Amino acid sequence: MIKIKWFKGQWLHITFSKIMLYLAMFVLVAFTALPLVYLVCTAFKPLDELFVYPPRFYVEHPTLKNFSDLLISLGSSAVPFTRYAFNSIIVTATIVFLTVIVSALGAYSLVKFKPPGGKTLFNLILMALMFSPHVTKIPSYMVVNGLGLINTYGALILPNIAVAYNIFLMKQFIEQYPDELLEAARIDGAGEFLIFLKMVMPALKPAWSTLIVFSFVNNWNDYFSPLIYVTSQTMKTLPLALQTISGGAAGMSVGRAGAVAAATFVMTVPTVIIFTVMQGKVMETMVYSGIKE
Amino acid sequence: MSDKKTSKKPIKLSLRTKDQLKGLVFVSPFIIGVIMFFAYPIFLSLRLSFGKIDSIVGLKISWAGITNYTRAFLIDVEFLPTFLEVIKDTIVKYPLTIILSLIIAILLNRDIMCRGLFRVIFFVPFLLGSGEVMKQLLNQGVDNQVLNIMDGRIIPYNILNYFGSTIVEGVQNILSIMVTVLWGCGVQILLFLAGLQSISPALYEAAKIDGATEWEIFWKVTIPMISPMLLLNLIYTMVDSFVSITNPMLEYIQSFGFTKGQFEYAAAMGWIYFAFVGAVVAIVFALMKNYMHTNEVEEVKKRGKDKKHRVFTIEKAPRRTFE
Repeated sequence: MIKIKWFKGQWLHITFSKIMLYLAMFVLVAFTALPLVYLVCTAFKPLDELFVYPPRFYVEHPTLKNFSDLLISLGSSAVPFTRYAFNSIIVTATIVFLTVIVSALGAYSLVKFKPPGGKTLFNLILMALMFSPHVTKIPSYMVVNGLGLINTYGALILPNIAVAYNIFLMKQFIEQYPDELLEAARIDGAGEFLIFLKMVMPALKPAWSTLIVFSFVNNWNDYFSPLIYVTSQTMKTLPLALQTISGGAAGMSVGRAGAVAAATFVMTVPTVIIFTVMQGKVMETMVYSGIKE
Repeated sequence: MSDKKTSKKPIKLSLRTKDQLKGLVFVSPFIIGVIMFFAYPIFLSLRLSFGKIDSIVGLKISWAGITNYTRAFLIDVEFLPTFLEVIKDTIVKYPLTIILSLIIAILLNRDIMCRGLFRVIFFVPFLLGSGEVMKQLLNQGVDNQVLNIMDGRIIPYNILNYFGSTIVEGVQNILSIMVTVLWGCGVQILLFLAGLQSISPALYEAAKIDGATEWEIFWKVTIPMISPMLLLNLIYTMVDSFVSITNPMLEYIQSFGFTKGQFEYAAAMGWIYFAFVGAVVAIVFALMKNYMHTNEVEEVKKRGKDKKHRVFTIEKAPRRTFE
């Protein structure tokens, strides 16, 4: 054990087990973070560095050309890249907003009012948690088609609002909300909706911040809804655009490798921003509720 | 809204019924959504799997019995191999994910610097999702090319030759599996961490005073105390690995559904697959149920006071008289 004088007269103890601990952490972090570093670096690589074999992590001559390529190469084709980004933002923002309200309202009433059939509904929700949406994609397509929503924003938004996981998460939280507060508000003459807006929602801030992050990440990366419900190029969202740029699911087209790297980078930035903003709250919730999608 | 409706009726409703009606109004958007985009599609896909589409326009389905199901097992030559591949893949990655995330969670739970930063780093891969970005990265070879040790960048050739190609290849495979596993660990780590932080330090102290070694403490205190989180993690990881987009089985099902247009067969395969997943989850649940330790209060409630607890408890220890 080595002792080193640290500032403020504290002693820094360095023991063998501590060194091993940090070493282990460092290796694990390296494994996790390297691909991310690679992702960021690749976006700034000039063309000649992109095809260096073996691939390199660092960039020697960082450039923004990939990003301008992304805008120009797609700008010349029918639909500009910004249109995909716009679609993605509109769709995701609407879904997140609506899903927070719908699930909060639903969970609040399930817990506090106990409507008839609430138990059945909750069991259905539990079942849905284990169910992959992919199996029901074709029938959902038929439903959306029957409603005449194909190729509209509605097709991308509506099926993703009532998600079982979201209401489950909200329910876990609302159960902790004391009934006495609600009664006090009722006695003071507040309407049910006012109580919900002014009292329940503010108290549930950690829950819906988490919901915003998860819902945002899931829908931003959602690849299947646009693939199935949308046929026109102008309505496609970023994940599909990424596939179009990279030249289909089969593999990468060589000429656009730079644009693909830039697009990948652009796609990940919003999720990371949202997460960093909401980070503290999310961790808090995870620790509390201990559940995710 | 519901108030008006109820007050019009001549019969006076009790407060309880009124509450229930209000609740129904609040929950109705969710119910409509679930029925339209979850319950009805599930019903439709079940009907499809037992039927045959006569005309796609009006969606006329005639009863075809279990032909779609028998086709998967008896006629289709690719179904079972793909299925086995998925199972094999899961058997390799499933325990790794659980064990690695538990180890990382234990390390994170220790008193180390930059704990928050580490936590965020381990969680960030989840943000990329398992979607298109992930696929793109795997296409670019982050899992095997970037961490390649075979071309002599990290370890010199001389040493590599000394080890022989099989060992090097094995290490390479382990590295690439490690990366993909670590990328799917974010949520599990957080769950374990939540479980670990809820353990009272008094338990550890008591165990230490009684002379337990670190190893014993891990098996006799830590594992039982985080068993609810362990169960949650086991099930979450299981479901997650079976329904991830990169899963070859789902890709196979999808290919029948969309490109080949055989909706009925795709639906049948989907139901077989999810019957299997459901069964596995049920087995895990049943096996773990006996090893669950929730907390003392619930344990007593469940088993009665006289029953012995598997985990030692801090309070109500028999008071010894020293005479």
